[in-house]
Amino acid sequence: MATLAPGVKTGPYHAVLDHIHPEPTSFIRKYIFSIDHKIIGIQYMITAGLFFIIAGLLAEIIRTQLLSPTGAVVSAATFNQIYSMHGTTMVWFVVIPLLTGAFGNFVMPLQIGARDVAFPWLNLVSYWIFPVAGVLLFSSFLIGAPDAGWTEYPPISLQGPPGTSMWCIAVFLVGISSTLTGINFTVTILKMRAPGMTFTRMPLFVWAQFATSPMLLIATTALNGALAALFLERQFGIPFYNPAHGGSPVLWQHMFWFYSHPAVYIMILPAFGFISEILSTFSRKPVFGYKMIAFSTVAIALLSFAVWAHHMFTSGMVPWLQLPFMIITMFIAIPTGIKIFSWMATLWGGSIRWTTAMLFATGFLITFTFGGLTGFFLAAVPADYHEHGSYFVVAHLHYVLFGGSMMGLFAAIYYWFPKMCGRMMSEKLGLWHFWLVFIGFNGTFIPLHWLGLLGMPRRVAIYDPQYQFWNVVASSFSYIMTFAILLMFINILVSLRSGKKSGPNPWGARTLEWMISSPPPYYNFKKIPAVLATPYDFGNPLPYIGLDAAPGATEATPTHTSHPVPTY
Amino acid sequence: MEGLAVIEKVIALAGAVVVAVFALISLKGEWPKTGLDDQVTKLLLGLMAFGCVLVLLAATGVLPRGGA
Amino acid sequence: MAVSVAKQGYELGHGHDEHDHEEVIYQETRDMRLLGFVLFLCSDVVLFSSFIFAYIYLRTTVAPTWPPIMDGHQLPRLDTAFAAVNSVVLFGSGVTMHYAMEGWKHGNKGRFNLFMLFTIILGSGFLGGQAYEYAHAQIGGWSGSIFGASFFTLTGMHGFHVFVGVVYLAVLWWQTSRTNLYDTHRYFGLTAGTLYWHFVDVIWVALFFLFYLW
Repeated sequence: MATLAPGVKTGPYHAVLDHIHPEPTSFIRKYIFSIDHKIIGIQYMITAGLFFIIAGLLAEIIRTQLLSPTGAVVSAATFNQIYSMHGTTMVWFVVIPLLTGAFGNFVMPLQIGARDVAFPWLNLVSYWIFPVAGVLLFSSFLIGAPDAGWTEYPPISLQGPPGTSMWCIAVFLVGISSTLTGINFTVTILKMRAPGMTFTRMPLFVWAQFATSPMLLIATTALNGALAALFLERQFGIPFYNPAHGGSPVLWQHMFWFYSHPAVYIMILPAFGFISEILSTFSRKPVFGYKMIAFSTVAIALLSFAVWAHHMFTSGMVPWLQLPFMIITMFIAIPTGIKIFSWMATLWGGSIRWTTAMLFATGFLITFTFGGLTGFFLAAVPADYHEHGSYFVVAHLHYVLFGGSMMGLFAAIYYWFPKMCGRMMSEKLGLWHFWLVFIGFNGTFIPLHWLGLLGMPRRVAIYDPQYQFWNVVASSFSYIMTFAILLMFINILVSLRSGKKSGPNPWGARTLEWMISSPPPYYNFKKIPAVLATPYDFGNPLPYIGLDAAPGATEATPTHTSHPVPTY
Repeated sequence: MEGLAVIEKVIALAGAVVVAVFALISLKGEWPKTGLDDQVTKLLLGLMAFGCVLVLLAATGVLPRGGA
Repeated sequence: MAVSVAKQGYELGHGHDEHDHEEVIYQETRDMRLLGFVLFLCSDVVLFSSFIFAYIYLRTTVAPTWPPIMDGHQLPRLDTAFAAVNSVVLFGSGVTMHYAMEGWKHGNKGRFNLFMLFTIILGSGFLGGQAYEYAHAQIGGWSGSIFGASFFTLTGMHGFHVFVGVVYLAVLWWQTSRTNLYDTHRYFGLTAGTLYWHFVDVIWVALFFLFYLW
């Protein structure tokens, strides 16, 4: 037995986790109504993947429509429904479920050395609300889908088609699902970490989930209040938002953005977690500034609750409040900058392996930083007066959501796919996927900045011919991006059947999920290990004791066994 | 109606004093305990006692300003 | 002893018996469920807060006068004296619930039953008072004005929570008499019910102030 850190005794257990339940045998209990966090994570992934395909096709209809200034493809009314549904689906039914539901569920309990989440049955309920809400959302196309954008500002949303009320219910339901997940994950991380895993020894993805989960349960509930009020006003005429009856449309904007700004960070913090894990693993270096990255994650989560009105500078809100909101918004650049610089320092002097996951992680650094910088422009009140409601906003939000969250998700898919399925994804197809996405994405969204600054408003089905050139450029590149994403789905399907067997630890990573076989057994850990240090100290022995590791899991990849830990 | 309101205020006044006293006694009994449920109970009992103070203010006519 | 060891998450010492082990599992499960329940209450506070924010916002920045003007004349204020009595009824039920819980913890079943009865009667009384108030409020109905919208939505939500609470407590009471789910040592369900009931009382403190005293 190795010498232990003070305070940690041998062969430790969480007594409640000591109990290994037998695996269910029936197909339904095993794969449909499973309470196993790994199955639920994969269920989230498949469901959100289907929604991603639908929302992606909607995006392509938008881009095709905008090829010509007169909008040849769909009518203006349909166009409004399509971009509203694209945004709604991507935010609530793709990105948030993938980051928290899919990867949070699959990876987080493994990384903290637990056998499941705190409330497995609640997890099942969380998941099953989600596809029901999705079906409800898309069936609103049958009665007239919502057409006021994903933000559904009143009074337009009050006059919207009947499907707008179904939109309220669907988003409300998915909000309940998120809230339950938030409760579940918070308790899991607080109570079920393996012995010895103090807060400063948690993997950074766990830190990201730990910051995200309370946001899920606080912010999402606030949105549910706003949605309930919108639903009541639409269906029963209860006046909240309609100025004709004494209400205020700005009230909706306050309530909506009080949720949706934290939601922006719900959609990026877990991606930050992915990046920290992946950069460290493929540089074979400890994460630079571990504590500062963890601290800045929490700082971003806290600050995110005090910046919502920067979405509303042109709404007629009281002017003296604009300055504090601008300044607090700019403060967020500090913890974000800490992260970016820490990641760059992690790369510095590392022995980098350019796997697809690593390519996406470094691509993330570029595109996300770019999106963050345009956020700075939008946060500045005077500049925002010019840019608000223009394509500049569209470009900015796609740089942080696609260039940030989705790039992070692609990286995570390539990184954890071997753990989920026991097979490697094709690196060759992955290389094509990365470069085509990177080129297609930047080609699509860089011109949108220019269009926005030239004055093209967002959410229009037809536009002034002077904007056509850059619109055609953007649309052309968007087809490349869509093709690249198609390649990813092909890669997943092909690799599922005929990918190379991965073994437990194909990347030579050091967090706990890589210490067990791929895919992990039902109970995850036969013995719950004790944790002695952060997982990132490449070059030191693994910081786990009492670990029943899978054969081969604890050997680092052959070509990089003796890389020294650099001194700074 | 006016007479009814006076009776209501007297009942509220007396009730609020009684409830506040018992709430504070309960709070004192809870004070040394340290479990999560006990901490939450302390907070909630304290706020309930504060609610009784509000009732007192209402019954004595201090609030709402301008009368009701 | 077993509890403190388990809280640190370390292996039980040598020679622990089955009973100790089961006790540790119970304590850890209870701790997790308690934390989860408190987090649920937090999210419920946020739900109420979002409507309270809507009310404050509409009242302070949108309405030119308060109570607002509807159909050409100003709406009356709500009846504070009656609401004060009703508030005392609800706060009183919170105190009786606390005494019921204390009775249970000390193994005093008779006291538990008595105070549980009081709690449920007072809780139902509050709901009755609320119904009376709804029938007599002269503020133009739910959809009449922003006053009615805020008042009936918030107090309606709260009333629904009270109703759920009364049913919840009744079920717990039934469980204590008909099942052996709870004993003087293990009673998480009762703890959760008590916390929920106190929470409902405290929400009323805010609503009482905002609608009747402000």
